[in-house]
Amino acid sequence: MNTMIVAKDLTKKYGDFTAVDGISFEIKEGECFGFLGPNGAGKTTTIRMIHCVSPVTSGTVTVLGKKSHIDNREVKLMTGVIPQEINLDPDLTVYENLVIFAKFFDIPRAEIKKRVAELIGFVELESKRNSKIDELSTGMKRRLLVARALLNQPRLIIADEPTTGLDPQARHLIWERLRSLKSRGTTLILTTQYMEEAEQLCDRLMVMYQGRILKQGSPRQLVSDEIGREVVEIRIAKEEDEKLIAQMADVSCGHERVGDTLYFYCRDGHEVMKKIVDFNLPNVLNRPATLEDVFLKLTGRTLIE
Amino acid sequence: MNLSYRIYYVFFRNLVSYKRFILPTFVVSLGQPLFYLITFGIGMGAYMGYFGGKPYLNFLVPGVLVSSVMLSSTFECLYGTFVKVSYQKLFDSLIATPVSAEDAIAGEIAWGAFRGLVSGSLMLVVATFMHVFPVSIVNVLLLLVLMIFIGILFGSLAMIVTSFAPNFDFFNYYTELIITPMLFFSGVFFPLDRFPGWMKVFAKFLPLTHAVNISRSAFSGVPSPGLALDFLYIILLEAVAFYIGIKLMKRRLIK
Repeated sequence: MNTMIVAKDLTKKYGDFTAVDGISFEIKEGECFGFLGPNGAGKTTTIRMIHCVSPVTSGTVTVLGKKSHIDNREVKLMTGVIPQEINLDPDLTVYENLVIFAKFFDIPRAEIKKRVAELIGFVELESKRNSKIDELSTGMKRRLLVARALLNQPRLIIADEPTTGLDPQARHLIWERLRSLKSRGTTLILTTQYMEEAEQLCDRLMVMYQGRILKQGSPRQLVSDEIGREVVEIRIAKEEDEKLIAQMADVSCGHERVGDTLYFYCRDGHEVMKKIVDFNLPNVLNRPATLEDVFLKLTGRTLIE
Repeated sequence: MNLSYRIYYVFFRNLVSYKRFILPTFVVSLGQPLFYLITFGIGMGAYMGYFGGKPYLNFLVPGVLVSSVMLSSTFECLYGTFVKVSYQKLFDSLIATPVSAEDAIAGEIAWGAFRGLVSGSLMLVVATFMHVFPVSIVNVLLLLVLMIFIGILFGSLAMIVTSFAPNFDFFNYYTELIITPMLFFSGVFFPLDRFPGWMKVFAKFLPLTHAVNISRSAFSGVPSPGLALDFLYIILLEAVAFYIGIKLMKRRLIK
């Protein structure tokens, strides 16, 4: 697979504040790469530099060898952006929004008609074709944003928290659409706070926090490297920790205390649960390990506050 | 400066969205200047003497006409642009396409100029019905060209203000302290020749004064002395304002 995006010591500063702190990463063509992290981690700032709407303070990022900067029309031509903010044009209908936006890419008129019709079908908004934007639900608006991002048939799609504020059904619809794009060979960059989304869609991801990359890898690899396969959560008083940790030492491969819960990481939950049952502890949960646990371990806090 | 033919795409976007607002904006663009024409022109004009051998209404029309261009293009590039930038975040999506920030801003200014042209043309039609019109067709065309230049000039000036306005209310500083006084000190309602010296000098610095002079010449067909200076002033100020407006607004859009 070719390399699509290369970032070297990429930095973004706003005055004294460093939003992105000299990060380096590579994204391969055709993969779905995720930026996972809480609000303020620097995810959106990073991708804004990639798709050339935010000037780079220092370091570089290239897309297919072309350096990203504000005036780089080439990169913009092959990129489609599904933004976090719903910045649709409220004065225009669904159809007009797409046609006007398609014009920005110098697409000829006949071709615009064809693509707009196709994309309205792709996101299932046929019935809303002539509706004003404020007549749409949030889910419909987000679907329209997806359609808009595909008008120029981009090689690279950037989805910035594409399912924020959506109910599970709407969320799954968008995931389906994004997965079908991936199957066509489009490179996808996804930023999200939702570990379920990252696990469902991403081939590889990087965990970001306070402008830095904490870890990179595939979701499964990250989980198994950092945590193991299962987690046992026990809600007990802090004072009991030391005793319990010592007793679990032979069956767990790590532990973490966060707030009112003590987490034990392990390869196989059975052994831990057997002991727990013996001790007769209430408030116990045995579940598979997730990216949330990875994040918790790396930063000492949850993804979503 | 990263300008291209894509300015038209931004202009076109405004044109498409405009069709929903044509009626209310017609009323607004026509309202104030028409009000002046009727109350001052006809109403007060009945008590006034003659100006250059013609009734007061004939004196009033050229000035009110360019004023309406000034007002329309100013409001469009103040309030119209501000709403797009702050509330609708429209330019964020636009800048991710090959349309540059400069294209977008120039497109907005061009649109403001177009709105000014529409206002001025409407005013011309109304004036024609009141039997006040330029001496020849060529002069009409010259007047239309003047309107476009004035539109770009005031649109650019307004864009400079919009580039650092924190909110809508801020625009009051510009409209009440600069635009409205300009209406009264530029020779629109009364000739400047009987003003005290310092006021005449002050008027010379106002772009509207020069626009009014050119407009008057277009109507009468008699080129006034200093017409070349008027043209020069307008073109120079316009070029500078356009450049600065785009530079400053770009800084607001690109973070």
